Amino acid sequence: MAVIDVAGLTKRYGDHTVLDGVSFSVEQGEIFGLLGPNGTGKTTTVECVEGLRRPDGGTIRVLGLDPIGDGRALRERIGVQLQHTQLPENIKVWEALDLYASFYAEPRDWRELLEQWGLAGKRGARFGKLSGGQKQRLFIALALVGNPKVAFLDELTSGLDPQARRATWELIKQVRASGVTVVLVSHFMDEVEELCDRVAVFDRGGIVATGSPAELIDGVDAEHQMRFTLMAGDASDPIALLSGLPGISGVTRDGDRVSVTGRGDFATAVTSALARDLIPVADLRIDKRTLDDAFTALTGRSFHL
Amino acid sequence: MTVITKLTTVELKLLAREPGSIFTILIPLFILVVFGSSIPPGDTVLLPMTLAIAVGLVGLYQLPTTLATYRERGILRRLSTTPVRPGSMLAVQLILQLVLALTACALLIAVAGAVLGAHLPSQALPVAAVFLLGTAAMFAIGLLIAAVAANGRTANGVGVLLYFPLAYLAGLMQPVDQMPDILARIGAFTPLGAFRQALHDVWAGLSPDPPLLGVMAAYAVIVSLAAARFFRWE
Ligand SMILES: Nc1ncnc2c1ncn2[C@@H]1O[C@H](COP(=O)(O)OP(=O)(O)OP(=O)(O)O)[C@@H](O)[C@H]1O
Ligand SMILES: [Mg+2]
Repeated sequence: MAVIDVAGLTKRYGDHTVLDGVSFSVEQGEIFGLLGPNGTGKTTTVECVEGLRRPDGGTIRVLGLDPIGDGRALRERIGVQLQHTQLPENIKVWEALDLYASFYAEPRDWRELLEQWGLAGKRGARFGKLSGGQKQRLFIALALVGNPKVAFLDELTSGLDPQARRATWELIKQVRASGVTVVLVSHFMDEVEELCDRVAVFDRGGIVATGSPAELIDGVDAEHQMRFTLMAGDASDPIALLSGLPGISGVTRDGDRVSVTGRGDFATAVTSALARDLIPVADLRIDKRTLDDAFTALTGRSFHL
Repeated sequence: MTVITKLTTVELKLLAREPGSIFTILIPLFILVVFGSSIPPGDTVLLPMTLAIAVGLVGLYQLPTTLATYRERGILRRLSTTPVRPGSMLAVQLILQLVLALTACALLIAVAGAVLGAHLPSQALPVAAVFLLGTAAMFAIGLLIAAVAANGRTANGVGVLLYFPLAYLAGLMQPVDQMPDILARIGAFTPLGAFRQALHDVWAGLSPDPPLLGVMAAYAVIVSLAAARFFRWE
């Protein structure tokens, strides 16, 4: 059974409809991503699922519970990191963890979390004196201290440097390995590709596609490029050779360098044509298709506005 | 330890780390000591004035600034994702701010009694009743500020803006007998003015004037209802 089931979720602010019939489900033990540009309703969606906001329509079940009706029971079983939230400036790291642990019936040992999230050295530091990355790690630790079945992490790595982001990703994988289902809100493609088992892609009004990152990328037939370099003195004419092949929409040549644009699995056609004519090439490169391309193909606009 | 005990312990530490709460205790004490050296023995005016100042500062500055800051920082919202209701935080804050006001007043009374030889009332019950009603009225105003202010800074600004006229009308800037009669009369209908006057009555050995108690009770009830009506958790 799914850990989270959302069907037909609708949410309006005034007469502005942010979510118009959003549906998805999250399976036990996976990292599920909510990906999309700013203002497309990702936070609104997770906060409805957490029971923080009241939907205008649709049904939500989390661990079989209704976030509004069974709120008390649900809050015992979930851990939340909110997008915009702070702690009191003067609270110490250990005090925050100890306090939040006391809110739950069966909390984790917060000292372990302190070690695991690299905060042991900051145990007695005040919140206001922590770096952005340390604050972020404390928020994640606070989301996990109640020993939740599901953890919701909204914009987990915003404001972190690349190294800290990688380190955070590794820890999130450990969280999944420990059996916790993770719902991750992000507007970073690389983060979602790296971490998520499945993703819901948001655009205005709601979800435009759901699937694993690989499925989403394969599912869209976006144009991409392949490049290679001819050997010096090679007299062959790659434009004539490749132009007619299936899937290929353009071939350009600049000196020895050739680039081929196409859709689908055109790269196989290119390499076999080159092999058949015994044309040796160097520096063969196929541009990796990314979720970025998938997003553009799904919505007809670029992800980064 | 129960959640409430833990929450109270942590919030108490935070309150003690807050420079504002130290000032709330020190400002009235400073006024008491500076003016106290020139009062006649057995004076019944100065100590009630400083007590009203202390309670006014807690109600108009400390309480609303703390609560509005907590809402602004999303602390109340974050709490509502846990099994604990954010209302518990509100309750704990009210209790601790009351403790702060009590501490400030106890210190004032101790210093005034022991060092300055000021008059102390012999009956505790009327003092307690007046203190509770006055504190309830001032806290109600603090809660209303917290309810409508967008953030901690605004709450603080509104507190400052309200404090001075209220303190003036209450006769905390200068003794009432030196104020224009009409302003002194109006002052008796303000929460802080009624509070100071009732304290003064009790100090002078009179029983507190029922209309003054009524004024404080009315502010306490009506303004807290308004605060509850407008309060937002986020
Ligand atoms: N409480 C609110 N009242 C009114 N409008 C809101 C409220 N919360 C969000 N909105 C609006 O709803 C839309 C979706 O907001 P939401 O925060 O859910 O988006 P998001 O996908 O999480 O964006 P971001 O990536 O910037 O965090 C935005 O246009 C936002 O302005
Ligand atoms: Mg968001």
